[in-house]
Amino acid sequence: MRFIAALAVMALYSAGAHAIDPAPPLADPLQQQRYLELIHELRCLKCQGETVADTQAMFAADIRRQVREMVQAGKSNTEVQEYMVDRYGEVILLKPRWSLANAWLWLAPGVFLLGGAGIAWRILRQRRALLAGDTSEVGEEPGRS
Amino acid sequence: MNRFALPLLAFALLVVVFGVSLKRAPEKQFVKSALIGKLAPEFSLPDLLTEGATVKSATFKGHWYLLNVWGTWCVECRAEHQTLLDIQQGGKVAVVGLNYKDDDTAARQWLTELGNPYTAVAVDREGRAAIDYGVYGAPESFLVNPQGVIVHKVVGVITPDSWRSTMLPLIDGVSK
Repeated sequence: MRFIAALAVMALYSAGAHAIDPAPPLADPLQQQRYLELIHELRCLKCQGETVADTQAMFAADIRRQVREMVQAGKSNTEVQEYMVDRYGEVILLKPRWSLANAWLWLAPGVFLLGGAGIAWRILRQRRALLAGDTSEVGEEPGRS
Repeated sequence: MNRFALPLLAFALLVVVFGVSLKRAPEKQFVKSALIGKLAPEFSLPDLLTEGATVKSATFKGHWYLLNVWGTWCVECRAEHQTLLDIQQGGKVAVVGLNYKDDDTAARQWLTELGNPYTAVAVDREGRAAIDYGVYGAPESFLVNPQGVIVHKVVGVITPDSWRSTMLPLIDGVSK
């Protein structure tokens, strides 16, 4: 029962999601697919934090139109993204590109993970060494007799 | 090593990172214009004030001009209007309007009521020229030098203060 209710709610929301983009789908399903991919990876600069696909802002509608036309004209995904970056800068891409300036963005999570693992390992080792050197009986105060 | 040293170091690092991010907070300059230092995109659009005429960006080359993106639907544009009138009056630059996604009649009405600071107003009803300029709202303004290169961009309202302290020096610095 609850599952059906959840499905019904999701169906309601999905209807709303479609209403944002009033344009009919492109005739070529492959192009439509690429169009959807592209607009989900462009940031709506007017409403930061949302993609161009998710909002009715005037800006987003204009960008969607531009993407649609470029896809229809046979431009590749990279060409469309280049076009946007040339005009709006790299902020318009939700997924930062791999570049020297962006390297830290991509590398930081790995560095943090390794650092954390290193600290954890050290703590575990110290604890093991403490336990090994502890000759006190259970119930006794450790390290004293 | 003191057992607080590492957490403290990590904390200090975070303070620095957040401090820097705050300094460059979104509202300050979220979108550094990708166009600064580049040639202003060309446009050729209908003239708002003369039926049948076109406004071409090429016309303004050779002089400093301020391209101002505005619309009657834009509340901040009303706040900016007096400053634009003053700038035009100052005679340092031509102010060129780009009427962005607006209604022609309403736009003409606005200029009749509030005064016209613009040398010419180009009509960009569909917002295509705006995309070329990386515009994502109004008002936005571009200061263009005689070589046709964008030297400065303002997102939001130009204040008499920002005009005097940032844009005038740019103009005077080069023309001297």
